[in-house]
Amino acid sequence: MGFFLLAIPVLAVLLFLFFKKEKLLYMISVSASICLIIVAVLITRQVMLWGKVEYSSLGGIFYLDALSIIVLDIVLIIGLMASIYSVGYMEEEIKQGKIKIGRLKIYYILMYSFIFTMILALTVKNMGIMWIAIEATTLASAFLVGFYNDRYALEAAWKYVIICSVGIAIALLGIIFLHLSSIGVLPSSDYLDWTALYDQAEALNTSIARLAFIFILVGFGTKAGLAPMHTWLPDAHSQAPSPISALLSGVLLNSAMYGIIRTVAIVNRNLGSGVYTGRLLIALGILSMVTAAIFILTQKDYKRLLAYSSIEHMGIIAIAIGIFTPLSVFGGLLHMINHSFTKSMLFLSSGNILQKYHTKRISGIKGVLKLLPVSGTVFLLGLFAIAGMPPFSIFASELSILASIFAIKSFFLGLVFVILLAVVFVGIALNLFKVFYGPAVENNLSPGEVNTPGLMAIVTLLVVISLTGIVIPNELKVLITNAQSIILGG
Amino acid sequence: MSNYFDALSVLILFSSFILMANKRIKSYIKTFRIQSLLIALAAGIMGIKGSFEEGRIDILVVCLLIVVLKVIFIPNLLNKTYANIEYKVEKDFILNIPILILMCCALVVFTYFSLSTIDGINAGIINTQVVNSVSVILIGLLFMISRKKAIGQIVGFLVIENGLYITALFSTHGMPFIVDVGIFIDVITAVMILGFMVFRINEKFESIDIDKLNNLRG
Repeated sequence: MGFFLLAIPVLAVLLFLFFKKEKLLYMISVSASICLIIVAVLITRQVMLWGKVEYSSLGGIFYLDALSIIVLDIVLIIGLMASIYSVGYMEEEIKQGKIKIGRLKIYYILMYSFIFTMILALTVKNMGIMWIAIEATTLASAFLVGFYNDRYALEAAWKYVIICSVGIAIALLGIIFLHLSSIGVLPSSDYLDWTALYDQAEALNTSIARLAFIFILVGFGTKAGLAPMHTWLPDAHSQAPSPISALLSGVLLNSAMYGIIRTVAIVNRNLGSGVYTGRLLIALGILSMVTAAIFILTQKDYKRLLAYSSIEHMGIIAIAIGIFTPLSVFGGLLHMINHSFTKSMLFLSSGNILQKYHTKRISGIKGVLKLLPVSGTVFLLGLFAIAGMPPFSIFASELSILASIFAIKSFFLGLVFVILLAVVFVGIALNLFKVFYGPAVENNLSPGEVNTPGLMAIVTLLVVISLTGIVIPNELKVLITNAQSIILGG
Repeated sequence: MSNYFDALSVLILFSSFILMANKRIKSYIKTFRIQSLLIALAAGIMGIKGSFEEGRIDILVVCLLIVVLKVIFIPNLLNKTYANIEYKVEKDFILNIPILILMCCALVVFTYFSLSTIDGINAGIINTQVVNSVSVILIGLLFMISRKKAIGQIVGFLVIENGLYITALFSTHGMPFIVDVGIFIDVITAVMILGFMVFRINEKFESIDIDKLNNLRG
């Protein structure tokens, strides 16, 4: 069953290789995503029933538990939305002559390889293979970032590959040290096996495990976009085609964060407390929020603004994991889900704006609500949501993280957290709210939406984030609680 | 036996010093080749030892992979890339060489002192080898920031990868086989992607100077 998750994207890539017709490519892509969702639903049920799904074939590398299924479901749902959206987006790009039909095939092959590598990273329990898969995500998405092939896209792609590969190489050093700390503790068949490492965590060599954590945090933190290793992120997110930006921001960052969370679980169990990892994570988290807040205040490009907001939210998740109490971990995981949905929705609707106005500069855009009634409304509500306004779901998760900060009596941290959230809100309001009003005529653009399938995707996402803001479904709550107990132990 | 490994780890460290002192793109590709050869040698000795003592041949297979990929294939690929780009300014370094070498020495000392505080690594023979190989990683990082040309960055990345491999080899006697192979596949793909991008950068920017990549800011 679980191997279908890996087989479907591979099959899709093979089909893309053989077919050339535009309509057929769209059909393959959407149906592959729908199949993935169906498998995901079934396998999520299995995980909820049994706690984890493991197979003994292929050396037993396939492993899913509540933590990985949460991130995996995000990948697959955002994947479906991005592939539905891509249909309309790519049709329009071809019509506008920005890309040739032949490039569409490459786009889909790379997109599904990208999705495949992310699924692989989340369904293995060997940390080494997880590392390989996360590095492969960089490689698969490199040409997607540079898809438009102009100077800017090329620059973004080069920075992306170099910075992420070096960062990830440092994570590998961390994994080598983690492996070193377990030598003599684990039998050689269990080397680098996450479950074995976790079960034997108390017996690992403590000082090497500490060292390993620093390297893994810096390494996967680069990929997760934590400051000060975030420099690739705004470039890559702003230059990639919008569905890919949605995938990068909503999915890729989570996969890297997932690697950090797995390590935190091991190291904290080894050390017996969360103080050491907590300090590092909170420091990086606050730094990410500060960096993001400053750049959001002075931003002139709306896709970059959204990218900096991703850095901010990754910082929030890092803080939540760093505090390491049941409430904060719950909030962190919930925030991961909410941020993915909201941010992908924003990137997808910003894609519609970009296709209408042909500029990424905020100053070049006026009267969005008149020209693009649906995407404009979604974008506006999405901005409120991402800034943390009720009734949207990000408000709920940010509130629980904030509550957990005050529950451990670190008032200073709580104060800084609130102030930074307020600064980000002001930045978003100051910079972006002016695009919605004003005369639309001076651009000589005709009103009307172009991407109908895309509208379906973004409206669905909007409904999801509004509803989960009001009430969290019970199944989700159970899953997150299970994942929480995996991270916290016991 | 550990004498050989000590000697080899010093030689590998030494080769990264030589790399840092190289001024021209051609010569640092050559030095990279020599370094990879030394690493293959270390893996070979380790592999022979492993196959006699424990009957495992996976390190020997990895050694073969290093020879094929890092000694032959990747340097040839880099040479070909370099030969194909029109714009050629041979010299490629920002700070002058003596300062860079001094910085490398400082990095080795830094690694020595920071690793000697860790108890698990400090005990016994493993120490020198791990210090040397972690220093190779740091020198690789320094190399990347000290070169302006795109190919220099690729070589820096490869040196980091080399350093990682020998760290794994010396400290843990090899990672699990599947992980090693996977890492190789990733490195090969990364180098091919980067090599391809160098062409594109050369086309669009009329140079492979990465200082020109400064359009995206803020």
